[in-house]
Amino acid sequence: MNQWEVYVNDVKELAEDAEIELTIRTLNAGIHKYTYKRVRAQLSSDLKKHADQLQVRLGRGQLSNSRFSIKVLGEVQRMPAKYL
Amino acid sequence: MAAPRSNREFIEACVKSGDAVRIKQEVDWENEAGAIVRRACELAAPAPFMEKIKDYPGFSYFGAPLSTYRRMAISMGMDPASSLPEIGREYVKRTNGEVVPPVLVDRKDAPCKENILKGADVDLCKLPVPLVHDGDGGRYVGTWHAVVTKHPVRGDVNWGMYRQMMWDSRTMSGAVFPFSDLGKALNDYYLPRGETCPFATAIGLSPLAAMAACAPSPIPEPELVGMLAGEPARLVKCETNDLEVPADAEIILEGEIFPDYKVEEGPFGEYTGYRTSPRDFRVTFRVNCITYRNNATMTISNMGVPQDEGQLLRSFSLGLELEKLLKSQGIPVTGVYMHPRSTHHMMIVGVKPTYSGVAQQIGQLAFGSKLGPWFHMVMVVDDQTDIYNWDEVYHAFCTRCHPENGIHIYRNAPGTPLYPFATPHERKYSIGSKVVFDCLWPTDWDRINDVPTLVSFKNVYPKDVQEKVTSNWTAYGYPPVK
Repeated sequence: MNQWEVYVNDVKELAEDAEIELTIRTLNAGIHKYTYKRVRAQLSSDLKKHADQLQVRLGRGQLSNSRFSIKVLGEVQRMPAKYL
Repeated sequence: MAAPRSNREFIEACVKSGDAVRIKQEVDWENEAGAIVRRACELAAPAPFMEKIKDYPGFSYFGAPLSTYRRMAISMGMDPASSLPEIGREYVKRTNGEVVPPVLVDRKDAPCKENILKGADVDLCKLPVPLVHDGDGGRYVGTWHAVVTKHPVRGDVNWGMYRQMMWDSRTMSGAVFPFSDLGKALNDYYLPRGETCPFATAIGLSPLAAMAACAPSPIPEPELVGMLAGEPARLVKCETNDLEVPADAEIILEGEIFPDYKVEEGPFGEYTGYRTSPRDFRVTFRVNCITYRNNATMTISNMGVPQDEGQLLRSFSLGLELEKLLKSQGIPVTGVYMHPRSTHHMMIVGVKPTYSGVAQQIGQLAFGSKLGPWFHMVMVVDDQTDIYNWDEVYHAFCTRCHPENGIHIYRNAPGTPLYPFATPHERKYSIGSKVVFDCLWPTDWDRINDVPTLVSFKNVYPKDVQEKVTSNWTAYGYPPVK
């Protein structure tokens, strides 16, 4: 199980049971903790629906009470091809 | 006492004088190190030198490097007990002296080249990048450092302290404001051409190099370091671009800024004492090479409520640079001071009020200068008010500043997204407002009949009475006055 975290201004941005794009950071222990990736993912407020867990922080770093389970469907490459 | 030439010499000097403590037990890079630094700042305690970091054997942290005037004095090679005006006079003397150009040293003489990571080996997570405050948008690589760039046309070098958050193993994002030197170069040159901007980030600088990177001086930073130190700064060529970086720095990151690609940055605990600026898409730095010293020490500034080095050093240098500017324009200033607790938002200017409108003239010059975006209040007091004594300044403000005639507001000025009072719209577009508090008696008032007399011990009693009372003070039964 992986632990992830996302920053949003409003928890309503996190639509459930639909494929959405998110910038998430890993909370898994180790030296890469807190590094980001852009992903396509599905969320559910049913914490048992997906194997990975997602916690939420709001605009100024406040930890939200909302929790989700998350399925990461794949990484999204936003960087222009000329820089890859 | 000579000024420390490197971060290491500075740590040694601070430990020796009792202005730094060695922490031998293991410290966690996640929050714990940041919390130690924050508490040290809030208590004005010695700087923490953390010698053992969880997950990062061989690395260390040095926190709160310049968050006290004692450590600032040490950084300049002065007696730690030097007063603020003494340190200020020394800064002005050195920065008005002969320019001291840097020297370029060979790679073999540059400690920052002891370890070199290139290509697939580049991974910022190999460095002990701290999570400075719980809830920050990321681990911050650059909190007390210099981002080195060179103007593509003019060729002038810029060292700036632009915060940098680790986004992934090779990417950082940072707050570069549009009015800054780097912001202007990116918007004016690189963005229209679609070219990347070479950069280098130097971490663990000598304290005077950090001071230069933080100071809003018109003197190029490598020369400024030499003038402050009294000897040339030692620079060395980067591995992957043409930039030159301090040879004695602990860690160097080399790479490119992508002007047309931004990633999320923030939120971050800021010098105002708040997390104000929103998480946003900000300037992206791609790291191509990392070089570092053996047993490298990463410097940490933990910004928050007063006082940390951001507030202290920025207040110090902004005030002195404004004093130089005002004097160069013939304004009869007697001193300029920013109290660090104002989080460098309020400039206090002492002046001989010999003509009308001098407070507004000072405000217009201050706000219209390159220094202007960093503060939004100018308080002008007369030369009888001690600008370093907040009790006197506050009394002058509350009693002499006319609520209608003495407050002058300037709208639609440059601002920063970090202003806690700014509206969300103003933060997004770096729009500011400014205010002058004129605490001078109007020059058209009759000096005898209109200007109130200050009722104080020093002002209303004859000298002989003052001397009698002070000499008999303990005889009256009072403890001695320090």
